[in-house]
Parts: sequence; C-alpha cells; structure tokens
Amino acid sequence: MNINASFESETFESFKKGEEAAFTYFYDKYFRRITSFSIQFVYDQEEAENLAQEAFINLWQNRENIDSLNGIQSFLYTYAKSKCLNLIRHNKVKDKFKNDLLNHKERELDIEILNSIQFDTLELTELERIINESINDLPPKTREVFIKKRFENKKNAEIAEEMQVTLKAVEAHMTKALKFLKIRLSDYMFALFILIFNN
Amino acid sequence: MPSEIIYKYLANEASEQEIQTLFEWIEASEENKKHFITLKKAWAITSLSEGISKDNAPVIKIKPKNKAVKYLKYAAVLLFLFGLGKIALNFNHKRKHSKEIVLELGDGRTEIITKNNQRNLVNEKGQLVAKKFANQIVYFGKAENDVIVYNSLKVPYGKTFKLILSDGTVVNLNSGTTIRYPEQFGISGKRTVYLTGEAFFEVAKDKEHPFIVNANQVDIEVLGTKFNVNAYPETSTVNSVLVEGSIQMYDKENPSNAVLLKPNQMAVWQNNSKKITTKSVDPAFYSAWTKGELTFKDTPFSTIVKIIQRSYDVEIINENSDLARQTFTGTIKISESSVENILELLKRDTPFDYTIKQNTIIITNIP
Repeated sequence: MNINASFESETFESFKKGEEAAFTYFYDKYFRRITSFSIQFVYDQEEAENLAQEAFINLWQNRENIDSLNGIQSFLYTYAKSKCLNLIRHNKVKDKFKNDLLNHKERELDIEILNSIQFDTLELTELERIINESINDLPPKTREVFIKKRFENKKNAEIAEEMQVTLKAVEAHMTKALKFLKIRLSDYMFALFILIFNN
Repeated sequence: MPSEIIYKYLANEASEQEIQTLFEWIEASEENKKHFITLKKAWAITSLSEGISKDNAPVIKIKPKNKAVKYLKYAAVLLFLFGLGKIALNFNHKRKHSKEIVLELGDGRTEIITKNNQRNLVNEKGQLVAKKFANQIVYFGKAENDVIVYNSLKVPYGKTFKLILSDGTVVNLNSGTTIRYPEQFGISGKRTVYLTGEAFFEVAKDKEHPFIVNANQVDIEVLGTKFNVNAYPETSTVNSVLVEGSIQMYDKENPSNAVLLKPNQMAVWQNNSKKITTKSVDPAFYSAWTKGELTFKDTPFSTIVKIIQRSYDVEIINENSDLARQTFTGTIKISESSVENILELLKRDTPFDYTIKQNTIIITNIP
C-alpha cells in the first residue's frame, strides 16, 4: 500500500511536469471508471466514452491547476458530472423510451441525482474507501455476482451459467448487494451530514 | 416496490413497461423517490471502485500532445465468413485441435490465452505492441517501417474471441477460426490478413492502405466507406455479405475475375468452378453470430449440425434419415441455450431420439 502510494505521488509529479507516460497511467486507471459513471446518465457506451475522453483532454490541459494526487479523480468526476448535466439539460441525451413523458421523468430524476453528488477531493477519497470496503464486505457469492454485473457488464444468463446457479439466484444476489450498498452509503451520507453541521 | 425492478432498471435490462411502473411508484411518495435516488446514486458511484479498472483497460488510445481525440472511425465494417471446407467435416481431425485460444508470435513463440491473465505483449525490441485480456487482444502503436511481423491467432471450437489490430480494425472471430495478421501494419502498401474460418471485420478507415482479407483462393478488398462483408464456410465456397459501402471479391490467380458488391448483396465464390455469383440478402442474418445468436432460415439440418458442432464443441452423428432432409428456421441465443435445449426444440418439429456420451451426440430414429 505504501509502495503504491509513493509510486502514485511520483507519477503525479511527473504528470504535473507534462510527462505522457504518467498521463497514460492515470488514463488507464480512471478511463473505465469515468465511462462507467457517465453511462448511468447518458445511456450510451459511445457517448460515455467520448465524454470520458473529453474529461481526460481537459485534465491534461489543466494539469497545472491540479494540486494533489486525489485532485485528478475529483477533476475527472466533476467534469463528467457537469458534462452529463449539460447533455441532459440541452436535450442531447438520446430518447430511451417511446413514451416521451417517461424520457422527461428520467431526465428530471437524473438531474436531481447528479446534483446530489459532490466530488470534492476529501469526500471522494472517503467515498472510494467506503465503496471498496462495502464491496469487499459483501458475502462472497453476492460479491462475485455484483462484480460480474457492475464491472464486467455481464448478462444475468452468463453469470448464472458461469457460477452454476439459477437466474433467480443471480437476481436475488443483485438485490441483496444493492440493499447492502444502500445501507452502507446511507450511513456514510448521514455521517457526512452530521460532520457538516458540527462544523 | 419489488427491488428487482429497480435493479433491472439500473442494469439497463428493464422493459419500458416495467420502467413505467417503477416511475409511477417513485412518484407515489417522497420516501419512494428518496429510496430510488439513493440506490441509483450508490450504483453510479460504485464506478469509484478499484475493481472497475483492473481487467478493463481502455481500447481507445489518446495522444494528449496533439490535444486531439483519436476516435476509432470505421470506414468499413465487414463481415466475413469463410468455408472450412472439408476440415469442418472431419470430426477426428477436429478432436486433435487445441481447446484453448492460441496466439503465435512472429518469432515462433506461442501463448495460450486463458481467463484472467491480462498481459502485455512485447516485441523483440522490448516495445509494447499489444495488451492481452481474457476475451480480446488489443494491438496498438504506429507503423515504423515496412518489415512486417505476422502473428496468428487460433480460436478453438466452443469459443469466440475479439482482436483489435494496430490500425484500430476490430475483428470478431467465431469458433474454429485461424487468422494471420501483421503485428504492426507497414507504412506503405496494403493491409492484408489471412483467414480460415469465420470473422466479422470492422475496418478502420485508411484510404491509402486498402484492407484485404485473403480467404482460400480469393481476396476481398475493402474499397469504399462503410460496409460489411460476409463470406461463407461449410461447403467449398467463400461467401461475403456487404452491409454498407463497397467491397470487391476477386480470384487471386486471375484478378479480372471479380465482382463489386452493393449493400445487401452476397458474393459467393465456388472453389470448383472458380465462379463468383451475387444475390440479394438480409445482412443482419449473417452477422447474428457476433451477438451470440445462431440464426437459421430454411437451413438444412446438415448445416445446423456443423454450426452446433463449432459453437458448442460437440460431435454430432446423425443416423436419422428423415431429419437429414429437413430444413429449419429460427434464432437461438447461445448463452441461453444448451445443446439439449436446441435438440428438444428441433424434436418438436420432427420427432427423433438422441443419446449423449461425453461430447458425442448420436441422433437416431424413434424406435
């Protein structure tokens, strides 16, 4: 962990100096994350990848203004968030449903969700830790299903086959994982709430 | 609210009907709405997890120096499928085939591609030329000289694989396929790859370097903008189906023996007569396998047998004479069906008996 941390801060220094290899390191590390976040709001793989590309171009152009290692992730997510909001507000997100009212409702909800997420440096680092911990704390089978679903974008049927379980079991594991994450996250949001008010 | 629907929604698998119900529920109370928002938020920010970058390195390369985004633009999307001819019929021969996906490098080294072994491929000069993942290999880098080193990839029965060439061309490889391709395409000349089996090509646009698929005795050259090519396996033919743009199929020995394809046309090369004929087709039908589907339209049972053997890596011996004369129409999702499922389905149409021993299925008449 320490070796990794010192490697990353060295890489960050190189990045600040404009070394491409250092940039590539962060690109490799965060590209999928930013895409995976954005796709939840733009609903299109290509659009989400374009958006992530754009975030990285901006990161590179603004590298002198990034003042800490954690600032990289914070910059990228903040960029992705505001870009998603822009796309939704300017009606650039493709219609998903035949029913226009449904499209409208989804956008309104997405705007509300995006606005409720803050990506400042401190919160993000803490959030990352909590999410990693929460996923690790899932029961083994549930964790396996969740990872296959969320990070490997597998279909339920594929997961069921790979793990030799029924489709129903896959669905049950996902429901369980979500409930668990929701509780963990709510606790965290609640803690944050108290923190803000005590300050 | 059944949380299954929320989860289906998040995984992008809910129907419009289900989403309608979900949204009605969300609107029913402030509490419901809060519940949903927290869940979607949780789902979206799990992208922060370190798990997400591990096995999913980016396919698209970026050059920050130029401040320009390099998107993969496909001038040509070509679907190509080519006859294994008699080899496909030779079951014993097939048995000796490797069960693994094998990559052979220019210097003769071979690598077996297994699950969960992400690796970098380095050339003799120690330069990174490709990244290898469980389901695909991505080549990158730029052409530096005209010395071309060939790699080849063998995909066994029962598996499929994806290859991204150094020019950004995407190749989906079907079961039982071998492809030979340059590790880096040269600065000058054409981009040529050699194929046995079946593949779907999405060719990266590059007017100065025509893309050629060599299959058996024919070359298929990518000429225009967007298109798909599909050439056939089974018998002694090479078939090629165009979706968009233009391609040319010609006899390698006699290049004036050529046809230029229009979208929604198929060109058929006959090994014996050395003739190329064309006809109109529905291209979606011929590219369905890239989505993990087997599609049949008045397809003879003998052809279906070959496709099942390749897709599932089984051996089928048909001793039922009625069945041999039958044709079938329909679509099967490989990931959702076992061989037994398919046989049970076919049985409903034409009754037969079958026994399964290990990987061999024997189909017989009903006693």
